[in-house]
Amino acid sequence: MKRKLSVLLSLLVLASVVLAACGGTPTEAPATEAPSVTEAPSASEAAACEPAGTEPIAFPDGGKTVTGAWDQEPDSIVPYFSQMSYAIWITQLTLAGLGEWDADGNFVAELAAEVPSAENGGVSADGLTITWKLRECLFWSDGEPLTSSDVKFTWEAVMDPGNAVLSRSGYEKIASIDTPDETTVVITFSELYPGWQTLFTQGPNNSGAILPMHILEGQSALESNDFIHQPTVGSGPWVITEWIPGDYMTLLPNPNFHGGRPKLDQVQIRFIPDPATALAALQTGDVDWFPNFSEAEISTVGALEPDVHLIVVPGADFEHYFFNLGTTTGVDGKGAADQDGFCPFKDVNVRKAITLGINRQAIVDTLLEGKTTVPSTQWPNSSWTNSSLTPDAYNPDEAAALLDTAGYTLGADGIRAGECNGETVKLSFNFETTTSQIRIDIATIVQSDLAKIGVEFKPIHTPAGTFFGSYADSGVMPTGNYNMAGYTTGFYPDPMTGVLDSYSCANVPNAASPSGANNYLICDPALDDLLAAANATADPAARKTAIDELQKYIYDNYYVVMMYARANVYGHTDRFVPAPFGFFSNLNWNSEAWDVK
Amino acid sequence: MWSYLFRRMIQAIFTLLIITVLCFILTRLSADPMAQYATSARMTTEDREALRERLGLNDPLPVQYFKWLGLALQGELGNSFFSKQPVSLMISQRLPNTLILMVTAEIITVSLALVLGILSAVKQYSVVDNVITTLSFIGFSMPIFFIALGLMLIFSVQFKAWGLPYLPTGADIWDKKDPVELIQHLILPVSALVIILTAGYARYIRASMLEVLGLDYVRTARAKGLTSRAVLFKHALRNAALPLVTIIGLDIPFLLGGALVTEQVYAWPGMGRLFWEYAQRGDFPVVLGILLIISTAVVIFTIITDIVYTFVDPRIRLS
Repeated sequence: MKRKLSVLLSLLVLASVVLAACGGTPTEAPATEAPSVTEAPSASEAAACEPAGTEPIAFPDGGKTVTGAWDQEPDSIVPYFSQMSYAIWITQLTLAGLGEWDADGNFVAELAAEVPSAENGGVSADGLTITWKLRECLFWSDGEPLTSSDVKFTWEAVMDPGNAVLSRSGYEKIASIDTPDETTVVITFSELYPGWQTLFTQGPNNSGAILPMHILEGQSALESNDFIHQPTVGSGPWVITEWIPGDYMTLLPNPNFHGGRPKLDQVQIRFIPDPATALAALQTGDVDWFPNFSEAEISTVGALEPDVHLIVVPGADFEHYFFNLGTTTGVDGKGAADQDGFCPFKDVNVRKAITLGINRQAIVDTLLEGKTTVPSTQWPNSSWTNSSLTPDAYNPDEAAALLDTAGYTLGADGIRAGECNGETVKLSFNFETTTSQIRIDIATIVQSDLAKIGVEFKPIHTPAGTFFGSYADSGVMPTGNYNMAGYTTGFYPDPMTGVLDSYSCANVPNAASPSGANNYLICDPALDDLLAAANATADPAARKTAIDELQKYIYDNYYVVMMYARANVYGHTDRFVPAPFGFFSNLNWNSEAWDVK
Repeated sequence: MWSYLFRRMIQAIFTLLIITVLCFILTRLSADPMAQYATSARMTTEDREALRERLGLNDPLPVQYFKWLGLALQGELGNSFFSKQPVSLMISQRLPNTLILMVTAEIITVSLALVLGILSAVKQYSVVDNVITTLSFIGFSMPIFFIALGLMLIFSVQFKAWGLPYLPTGADIWDKKDPVELIQHLILPVSALVIILTAGYARYIRASMLEVLGLDYVRTARAKGLTSRAVLFKHALRNAALPLVTIIGLDIPFLLGGALVTEQVYAWPGMGRLFWEYAQRGDFPVVLGILLIISTAVVIFTIITDIVYTFVDPRIRLS
């Protein structure tokens, strides 16, 4: 028997060895010796317009290298086909857009020579035509010219029904793109699109990398194209030369990067799903940075100074709680939800009382160690924040008084009850959110806070895959099967990104519009008007005024409870020297300036 | 024998069909692939609707299942919803890594368990038996993530902090073709798995050996004047190993599925991680592809186990 068993096991070992030899072979792009490119081409060199190389710059003996750790692997390098942040990150490292956001959150030119504006003639008087001027002498990493034709091709690829892009938002409003010469791109919109800066540009929430026409032209189903999994060329500071699925990828400098040669000679990205492992690997120096610790890990990472440094970047994402404001009747035949929301929430005093009854600052100070803030509106840490608004302070006495005024009085069981639509209703309701530990901890505190004002808050934690389920899958939010709920989102980099879909009557999910993204189920015509006003002008000053008014309206109506602005928590080794970055840019925006001690 | 095998193959096909239906239902109910896009601010209502249609999620569930089954019957496992790559390619990239880890762990586990189990049985109620039993229970009852992280913190992080030679965390980038590096990187994950798995096997072997050692034929063998070694290994172990064959036979297919937690902790690019990462996102082509392969292996290895039984125990005949 032992012989049979050993034969069996030997066969398995043999099979594994054979499979190991057959599978997972890395694709290695050929590398050349480093050309003498250390800076962006000068004016005289530009006149020649020759590429500095045609292949990635080979890693020299004793070269400088760093290894980053990401907890997930990007689905592709082109975020047109992936919603993952990791896809945006890898694109920032390898592909360029016309513009990007810098460390201070300013929109700046990348492949473009300058950002179009009314002053430089880049934005037409009616706001319908945007003219981009590209830098001179741009080349892909393989030495092919990068021209206005690549921009036009990118638009055509996004709009091609044969390509399974995730979103055509904004791109579908382009009527035409003209390319009068190799460096001029004239984009004409069919209707006003104030968020034009999010198209063909790279930001924290948008995908706009320019695609290489000479590689992808004439092909369809680009989502399955080799280029998005094993890219051979790039336009960013780096070129992927090796990508072993589930394991790591290696990037070498792009000889033709418009910003000059990166300071480092190599960057590697290791995929490490467990933050605890990433923390251990930072301590041993196996990796140099990890960009995705949770806020709850701030003190753990901070305790590792001076070997490991902590960077906390307050973000424009926010954790918020909100009320089910759905009605089965809708308003003027629009925005009907499948279910009526919890009746008492229709009263603004109840919503305000719940907001005042949660000690949000204490949550930030204790669970989040004071590393972030309680924001007043849904545009935190952004130049678009309505700075005249301040978050309500914790005030349980005023909250109780508001509930008294609203007619909800304390019962013998310590829970308030009152009349709503002719029926006696207890202020006892479910709160739905996901199973993440920080959400469980916060919900427990909120439960305790609200109990003090006679409100029974009952948390229900559901795995994200179910909690965020769609209408057809009986998802919690689109079917209105909740009283209160909470999760994180953010409206950026353009201040109206996703706002219309989140708030307008037309986007309340129901059988006729099952993919509607208005999870609040709000249908408020006054709000619809404010949304329309915010999208009606491209003039930055007029837009700011309109968006300020929109924020004030949501704030005054207590439609959402802003819990805290999310923070991005990075840890990096002492030897790795990242360049300055902010939330909108994120760490990867200027990787050419990364260095080691 | 051949008619038996034919019958078992027919049964296996039906079993696999039932398994795929159950797996499909469970996978579809456990996570909605569209949940990934629920808070994506850049996707409009129209974008979401178009995506649902493209992924085939607007079809009724039975239609979704039969579309998948139709492909599977042609040897196609479809494409991942998210990476858009063929599932068969994704599996082929991860399977060798998993086999290296799991087969190594299984070989060491079984070898160690045999030694400990036999020793425990022969020295029943001795100090050795008590120590082995206690350690077995400790290993058996500890959560794997605790052991895996604990080993890493001690032998990687702390050893480095103490200035001692230290083992890699597994989070570094290393040459998979270098046998020395391979062994270095296998030590911690394999140790974690062996600690967890050995206890169960050792207890089985101990119980089985104790039962056999008390039987008349063993006493007869001893009475014939055979050495203890001969009695133990030639007479007792052969019969005591019968339950072990069943356990190993049923465990081998699960080696293909990898060790979910161990692979997560040590960033081992194997099947367990692939399964977990895509199951969380509701990517049912990937999840079903992996489950189909494991289910097929379970069914096949069950049949193989039955056949091996006839060799190990001549009293058993397949009919």
